[in-house]
Amino acid sequence: MGDGRAGGANRPAWLQQYELIGKIGEGTYGLVFLARLKPSHPAPGRRGPPIAIKKFKQSKEGDGVSPTAIREIMLLREINHENVVKLVNVHINHADMSLYLAFDYAEHDLYEIIRHHREKLSSSINPYTVKSLLWQLLNGLNYLHSNWIIHRDLKPSNILVMGEGDEHGIIKIADFGLARIYQAPLKPLCDNGVVVTIWYRAPELLLGGKHYTSAVDMWAVGCIFAELLTLKPLFQGVEAKNTPNPFQLDQLDKIFKVLGHPTVEKWPTLANLPWWQNDQQHIQGHKYDNPGLHNIVHLPPKSPAFDLLSKMLEYDPRKRITAAQALEHEYFRMEPLPGRNALLPSQPGEKIVPYPVRPVDTTTDFEGTTSLQPTQPPSGNAPPGGQSVARPMPRQMPQQPMVGGMPRVAAGANMAAFNAASQAGMAGLNPGNIPMQRGAGGQSHPHQLRRKADQGMGMQNPGYPQQKRRF
Amino acid sequence: MAANFWTSSHCKQLLDPDDVDLVPAADRERGITPEEFRLIKIHMSFHIWRLAQQVKVRQRVIATAVTYFRRVYTRKSMSDYDPRLVAPTCLYLASKVEESTVQARLLVFYIKKMCGSDDKYRFEIKDILEMEMKLLEALDYYLVVFHPYRPLLQLLQDAGITDLTQFAWGLVNDTYKMDLILIYPPYMIALACIYIASVLKDKDTTAWFEELRVDMNIVKNISMEILDFYDTYKIDPQRGIPEDKISSVMNKLPAKA
Repeated sequence: MGDGRAGGANRPAWLQQYELIGKIGEGTYGLVFLARLKPSHPAPGRRGPPIAIKKFKQSKEGDGVSPTAIREIMLLREINHENVVKLVNVHINHADMSLYLAFDYAEHDLYEIIRHHREKLSSSINPYTVKSLLWQLLNGLNYLHSNWIIHRDLKPSNILVMGEGDEHGIIKIADFGLARIYQAPLKPLCDNGVVVTIWYRAPELLLGGKHYTSAVDMWAVGCIFAELLTLKPLFQGVEAKNTPNPFQLDQLDKIFKVLGHPTVEKWPTLANLPWWQNDQQHIQGHKYDNPGLHNIVHLPPKSPAFDLLSKMLEYDPRKRITAAQALEHEYFRMEPLPGRNALLPSQPGEKIVPYPVRPVDTTTDFEGTTSLQPTQPPSGNAPPGGQSVARPMPRQMPQQPMVGGMPRVAAGANMAAFNAASQAGMAGLNPGNIPMQRGAGGQSHPHQLRRKADQGMGMQNPGYPQQKRRF
Repeated sequence: MAANFWTSSHCKQLLDPDDVDLVPAADRERGITPEEFRLIKIHMSFHIWRLAQQVKVRQRVIATAVTYFRRVYTRKSMSDYDPRLVAPTCLYLASKVEESTVQARLLVFYIKKMCGSDDKYRFEIKDILEMEMKLLEALDYYLVVFHPYRPLLQLLQDAGITDLTQFAWGLVNDTYKMDLILIYPPYMIALACIYIASVLKDKDTTAWFEELRVDMNIVKNISMEILDFYDTYKIDPQRGIPEDKISSVMNKLPAKA
């Protein structure tokens, strides 16, 4: 990955690889820039691939690299899927202690696509596109969940769609700043503070649930599905912001209005959720018993699309449909079948919808100041590439149960008890009478020692990290 | 992958033992022998361990920190990356990765408390934050580490010898005084610890091991390495490497800039 040595006074050498185009977004973590990778063999008219570069500010004084950046690097460095954004490089500017993540650039996102239909076209998104987008979103999510990663912040602006090119119309799930590996968390997941934008937040979280699961992502997918159909957020609650972790009564009320009240009969663990217990007067006070979801999304109650949607919006997280199950749903097996390029016109001969490109603020440079210097001429520098040593994966695993699929219970409870024991150590132990032969059976090694270049960080799949748009 | 060791960056980065023992050129020039190189790594693993005890983080955070520390020196020299600064910074980074962040100022405070008299171990917050970035680079931004602890518990359960848990767990802890985590898949290290524990505690696990169909040669080789380590170093688990033995070695490293 990037070499952080400073090239000039404040200009790190890696900057030379890019031709900066401008700023395309900003958020609490920092700024996002659009740049092009300079071609390794410059020629007139030749342009490198577009790259979105997310610059992280140092968080608070004395906190070092922000945990958001760490989470994003940690996860994206391990995963690789067509429907997940691709981290192509990480750079550091030691001079101002800033960190840059370079992603393949995606021209569109669901937020902008939905907005374009609602505000400019005043027409719904064609059924083929809706189905293809949903399928790909579930496909990416299934990959994440099967790798024990919960995204925790799915919303239309975090779901990118590739613009024209090899990957046109392909979805990329982005923004892993809140994502977690949930295999054996050291701390309860809720310790990170509240997560998920409230409109897409699952009812178990709104009710104060602490041990939540990948089902929270599926609730968000349900909300996004409905929004793709109607072009309006399904549950537009007003966020309460008075305390650090306030009770979002209005958001719950919006959900109950559409789906009816949850009941302990249908959702047994409901009774254990803090807010359900504490706030009976408010949440259980008004009763809505006319579930009207099908009227809102304009789907016949017996249609496969409606069936799938209502399974995603199932109150009980344990009964909610999983990404893997959703991919097998009848909805995806009937015409129109989902496709790789979600943005293709639904009928041959029909025109492709010209979605707008992202606005670029070309007056801002990497420092975030508005004094854009003309970029340096290319100096024949090679594109970055992974240099780490990789070893081929063993074809056969000796024993399946020891690697994947660990029960979630084991570690947490037992670990604490062993912390003390650990100190005893084993030093001084006399290994005298161990019936073992040194190097028994020869020094055969478990792994092949051949090496090959790491292919983990190729430059082929464009993608782009999403942020709140502030223009 | 986050959950599958075989597709993880950890698995892809496993090294040959010879490469792990290789003393970086800059350190060789300062007269550091392979044995001394190993000794510093043991010493600094203790340092991380003791510091972690002060700031109270869990075992897995310590294990991740020590793994980072050992990985760094397969790529960088101790002359360029002062182990006395790299060690606490590894703990700092590992605490973030394992979602139990420890503040840098807290580390600085406890380092002062632990090594008050020795100036060479003392660093400021700024030093740790700068090193954090260099560390990310040196680790090539691969941060997910797998450990033997979880497979250990599962395997002990499977073998029906959970009464050996504490003993085997202690053995696993001690493997971080060695470079095993850079060389072998974590579950193989867990198996080796179970093997040693069961032999020492007279549990017959032969049939169970046979059923696993793992390469017992590797399990036995790792076990021998662990027992060799105990035999060679005879380290006091509370004190680590004696001061007189380590200080002359540490003095070969350049003084703080």
